[in-house]
Formats: sequence, C-alpha cells, structure tokens
Amino acid sequence: MREITYLEAVREAMTQEMERDPRVFMIGEDIGEYGGAFQVSYGMLEKFGPERILDTPITELTLTGAATGAALIGMRPIAEIMFMDFTTLASEQLVNQAAKLRFMFGGQSTVPLVLRTPAGSGTGAAEHHSQSFENWFVHVPGLKVVMPTTPYDVKGLLVSSIRDDNPVVFIEHKLLYKTKGDVPEELYEIPLGKADVKREGKDLTIVATAIMVQRSLQAAEELAKEGLDIEVVDPRTLRPLDTETIVNSVKKTGKVLIVHEAVKTGGFGGELAGVIAESEAFGYLEAPIIRLAGREVPIPYNRNLEQKSVPQVEDIIEKARELATLKV
Amino acid sequence: MAIEMIMPKVDMDQETGTVVEWLKSDGQSVEEGEVILVIETDKIAIDVESPGSGILNGISAIPGDVVPIGTVIAFILAEGEELPDQPAKAVEPAQADPPPQVSDPVPATQDVSATPVARKMAQSQGVDLSTIKGSGSGGKITKADVEAALGSAMPLSPGDILASPAARRIARVKDINLGLVKGTGPGGRIQGFDVEAYIPSKSQVGLPALSSPPIGDSIPLIGMRKKIAERLTESYQSIPHIQFTSRVDMSNFIKARNDYNELALKRGDEKISVTAMLVKMVGMILADHRMLNSSIIDDKIMVHPDINIGVAVALEEGLIVPVVKNADQKGISQIAVESSDLVNRARQEKLTNADVKGGTFTITNLGPFGVEQFNAIINPPEAGILAIGATTSEVVATPDGAIAVRPIMRFTLSADHRIVDGAVAARFIADLKTTLENPVLMNY
Repeated sequence: MREITYLEAVREAMTQEMERDPRVFMIGEDIGEYGGAFQVSYGMLEKFGPERILDTPITELTLTGAATGAALIGMRPIAEIMFMDFTTLASEQLVNQAAKLRFMFGGQSTVPLVLRTPAGSGTGAAEHHSQSFENWFVHVPGLKVVMPTTPYDVKGLLVSSIRDDNPVVFIEHKLLYKTKGDVPEELYEIPLGKADVKREGKDLTIVATAIMVQRSLQAAEELAKEGLDIEVVDPRTLRPLDTETIVNSVKKTGKVLIVHEAVKTGGFGGELAGVIAESEAFGYLEAPIIRLAGREVPIPYNRNLEQKSVPQVEDIIEKARELATLKV
Repeated sequence: MAIEMIMPKVDMDQETGTVVEWLKSDGQSVEEGEVILVIETDKIAIDVESPGSGILNGISAIPGDVVPIGTVIAFILAEGEELPDQPAKAVEPAQADPPPQVSDPVPATQDVSATPVARKMAQSQGVDLSTIKGSGSGGKITKADVEAALGSAMPLSPGDILASPAARRIARVKDINLGLVKGTGPGGRIQGFDVEAYIPSKSQVGLPALSSPPIGDSIPLIGMRKKIAERLTESYQSIPHIQFTSRVDMSNFIKARNDYNELALKRGDEKISVTAMLVKMVGMILADHRMLNSSIIDDKIMVHPDINIGVAVALEEGLIVPVVKNADQKGISQIAVESSDLVNRARQEKLTNADVKGGTFTITNLGPFGVEQFNAIINPPEAGILAIGATTSEVVATPDGAIAVRPIMRFTLSADHRIVDGAVAARFIADLKTTLENPVLMNY
C-alpha cells in the first residue's frame, strides 16, 4: 500500500471530503495563503478557492462561532485552531453553544462541526504552544473527542468526524505529523468510539493516547527483549470511549499502565482508571492501576526540561517493567 | 468495667447455643480475640472469641448447657475488679435483626475525648476508650492511639489480607480461604496465580483415623453426637423410607476418571475424585427428577429450585455433611476443587455455617471402607440419600452370553415414600445407572 505522512493523510481526508460534499469547508487562521502553521492545508486554497478555504484574523472565538452557525444551517465546517492552547478562546462557542444546541433544540438541529487542532509538546514551543487539553472537552456532554495516532487512523477518523452530525474536537499531535504509514487512496471511515489494539500481549496492558501510543509501542519492543509481552491499546476516541476493548484487555493481562502527555491531575488517565475500576475488569486486577502522565508544570521552553515534563520511552519502559513483573 | 460475654447468635434461625467446651476457666487471663469457648448450634461447632482482655470470671454455663442466645455466660474483668453485683440481665434473643456478634462493641464512653474516627474504630473493634491514653491535643484519643491499643490483638478481617482483586475473585470462586494462601507479590501481596497454585491440603487416600472410645466411661450425649442422634431418630421414625439397589459396571466410569485426571495433571488442576464425578452426575440427573430434590414443609411438597448435594464426611466424633451448591450447573473440575476443599475443611473442623447449609440431596460413600452395599437414613428435610458401595471385581455375564470380570459397584437409594413413589425412584435409578456406565452422557 502507498505510504504517506500523518499530515498528508489529514490533508487528503479533507480534500477528498470537500470534493465529495460541497457543504464541507475550512475556516481558520493562516490556513489559506500560508497553507497552515504546519502546512496541513498547503495547496488547498488553490484547489478550492477562498470561499471554501476561509482565512480569518486571529479570532478563535469568532471563527468557532461562525463555524457553529454554519453547521447549524446545514454546512459541515472544519475549523482549525492553530494550537490547542488557544481552544481556551474558542471554548465559549464550542462548549456553551456547539455542544448544547442539539439538546436545546430538542434534536431539531444538529451541529456537524469538526474543530481540528494540534496539541502536545516536543517542538520547543514552550508554555503557550505545547499543551494537551483533551480532557477539558471530554468532560462536556455533546462533544466527541478524537485523538488519532497513525496516518491510517487519522484519515479514517477525520472522514467519520466530518460525516458525524455532532461537534467533534479532533486533536492531532504535532510530533505525529511527520510520521509515515500505509494509507489507502480511497475514502474510508473508521467508526468513532472504537479502540484499536496496536500490539497484542499478555503481561501488561498499556492504554495510551496520541504520541504516547508510539512511545509505548517502542517501549513494548524494548521490553520484548526481556521476555515481557506488552499489549498496547489505543482508544483513538476518548468520547465516546470504547470501554469494552479496554476492559477485555485488562481482564486478559490483570495489569494496566495508562500513559498520556497531559498533566496527570484531572487528566484522561483518571477517567480511564475509573472506568476500569468500575468494570468487571476490577476482579482481574493483579496490581494497582498506574498512570504515567505529564508533570504538574507548564511545559518549559528549555529542551531538557521540556522532555522531562512529559513521559519519554525510557519512562514508559521503567514503569511498564515494574508493573509487568509485579514490583508494584 | 466488666465486659459481658454472651451466647452469640451465629446462624439466622438460631435460638440457642450449646456450650461444648471452655478453653479457659474462671480466674485465667484472656486476650481480646482469643478463642476461649467452643459452642455448638444445630449445625456446627463455632469458636467464640473473648470480647475483651482481662480476667475471665463468673462462668455461668457449663458444657452441655443449652443457653438462649444473648444470655450473659461469663464476664471479662479488669485486674482487681469484682464481679458485677447483680447477674446481668439476659439480652432478649434477637429475632429477624442481624445478630449481636460476640465481639460486639463495648459502648464507647462519651465523656472521653476522642476524634470521631477513633470513636468509631473503638466501637467497631470493641475497645473501651477509657482504657486508652490519648496523644492528640488536650489528650484527645486519635485513630493512631486506638490502632496502637488494638495492636496484634486486632482480629484479622478480609480487608487485612493483602491480596490483588484478581486473587480475591479467584478465591471467592474457588471458595479458598485467602488466609491460607502465601502471597508472592510486593509486600507479600497474594496474586491471582498464588491462589491458582494453592491446593487445599490433599485429601488423604486412606481413611480418617478413628480413636477408640474410652471403655467403661460414659460419654455425654452432647454437641455433634446429640445432634446426630436427634436428627436420625426423627428421620427414621417419621419418614417412611423405601430403598432401591442397583448394580453398575464401572469400567467406563474408571476410564473416564483416568482420562480426566491425565488432563488435570497436565493443567495442574485438582484431581478429579470419584466423589466429584458422583456429585456432578447425581446433580445433573436430579435436574430431570425433581421430586427427589424436594422436601415436605408444612404439608406441602417444596420442589427446590437449586440442586445442592451434600457429601457425608466421617469425622472422629461423628459425621458432617458439607454441601456442594448448584452441582448441576458446575463443571467437574470446579466440583472437584470444591468438594476436596469441603472434605478437607470438614476433617480440620474448619467448615463454616454456609458450608453445611442448603443441602437438597445427600451422597454417602462407604466404598473406601469396603462396604459393598448399605442403606442410609435420609438427612431431613431432604427426600433422598444415595449410598455408594465399594467397586469390586466380579464375574458377570456379558450381553452376548460370555463370562467376564468387570468392576461392579452397588448403590442404594433411600427415598421418602411420602414424596417419591417406586416408579419415580426407579426412573432416577435407571438414569443414574446409565450415566455411571456411560459417563460421556454427562456432556449431553
């Protein structure tokens, strides 16, 4: 199969969906002339023109509001927030309007909006351009939250998100943009709310999100050399969450390590731990549920400190080894 | 303050308890939580712990006495303390409410300064707060003080055992006491595989040793002996027993058991005993012969929904019938684990009330003693009991008229004729015989 990057897969999903469905359009900062801060929409202005690739001023609240309004009257907008850090500014329209309107209108209106945004650290972009806010949105009924981790997943999940009648927060990871993988040329959907077991194993379940899936897979390969057989589960969609796949995995291994980049306190790991503890998997646990997550600090600018502030492959290896060999 | 020791209520429908033995006598010092008394209910003997630490005194019930629950039968006194002037008023026997436990709380004195958590803890553990020196501000008693006071005397509750949730689940399913399992996890935590690996001490292939009675002595008819005497007399006098014997060729049964055990050995599972196979077969067949799984209660025949098979176990001083619950619904390996555990604990006198309750049919096997055939007395209120004889090589005529030597076993069903007619029993026996001779039918 043809190999392309994660970034190209995002662009291809949007391009093919815009070709297929005239209601789909993009709105965001620097997405047109400039081609997007990460060049995700490079070349799309030339292809679709300024009516469908809408450059806006630095106005996250307004552009999200405009996208919400457009969605309400039947369009299928893809709004881009250049860095997830600035979804704080878009939140009023997203959380208080887009997420609520379908309920407030008794189901007579829907908001088929996709809000795409890159998250995560590792680029030396410091405090205001490195954060992972997924759990802020997971907390809001009415929103769906998607966090794809491979080129194949990102295309299929973005297509499903565009076609979904609910507002979807679609979180891309900056460090994943350059990663490559097999991606079919044709359009395909990956259903929202379906996790993927990225690696099968029997000694430990790692549930990881975003870049931590790749790091966990690397850690698993290293630990395989020590004879440890690690399973890596990628929820892919945080809301709705595929509880079944996670619970089945934990029932199989009896041990679970949750890895995410976002700060541990109040992060998605707590939710996952709760879901597991409440489920029938509880009776299969052989050790405490352990979370490995971002430290309780803003992401520092200094490169060494930046690396220290979020889990790295070595950190995952260490924790996974401890758990898999029942040292905790 | 004198601590009252009462006859505990340990069973739902218990009204009295029989004193079997005092392990301490008047004037001896006792520790809270120490077993100082053995009592007996209709069903089982129970160890009773001391409700407090001090000097045991004022024992008012001697072995053989049948005492209403809640009655004060002794006191635990502090050093130099006198027995209370008046005999403490007997507590009214509780009816439907949860039973007062032996280690029931000593009322925490309100005038002692203690934190709420310390007070609650003291209450639940039966600690007299006035005996504790507080280390908190203004002498307030804290949780740590109560913990220190409890020290090693603190009774072991399930929560005190360090075990993973998986270990707890497996122990529950296999009915294994986690306290007996050695943990290999961090800090000695019991892991699931520790429980899987735990095999209750293997049942003895030989027979339990029976000690000879003291010749010339009179043995008081109390406790288990008395219970057996009463129940069997009542059963034999009030239930019209009918008996049916059949003879089965055990060749296929023996082969099936060998096959099971080869597999069990490979898997490291519990050995499949003859008892386990009998329990499984009888359980399965009872599902098609419900009248044998019923009881006469208040002029009505109660057809039991569950099939719980009692297995008679000979003990030195009598016999006891632990029960394999829902035998028709369990796999043979699970029944093997459960029955082996029950038999072992029966011999160690470690059965709990729950282990001996709820039986709907009983199997008794004197085959290992070489008895070829016998009639058993029904264990009321059950409708039937199956007596299993020894399997011995016998010369038989084969269907084609030849002579062969085969392993032959005789079993005898005793049934309550008020419930079970001859033809009903005969059909049960025919099905049982067919299954014993063709164990593959167990899987049908």
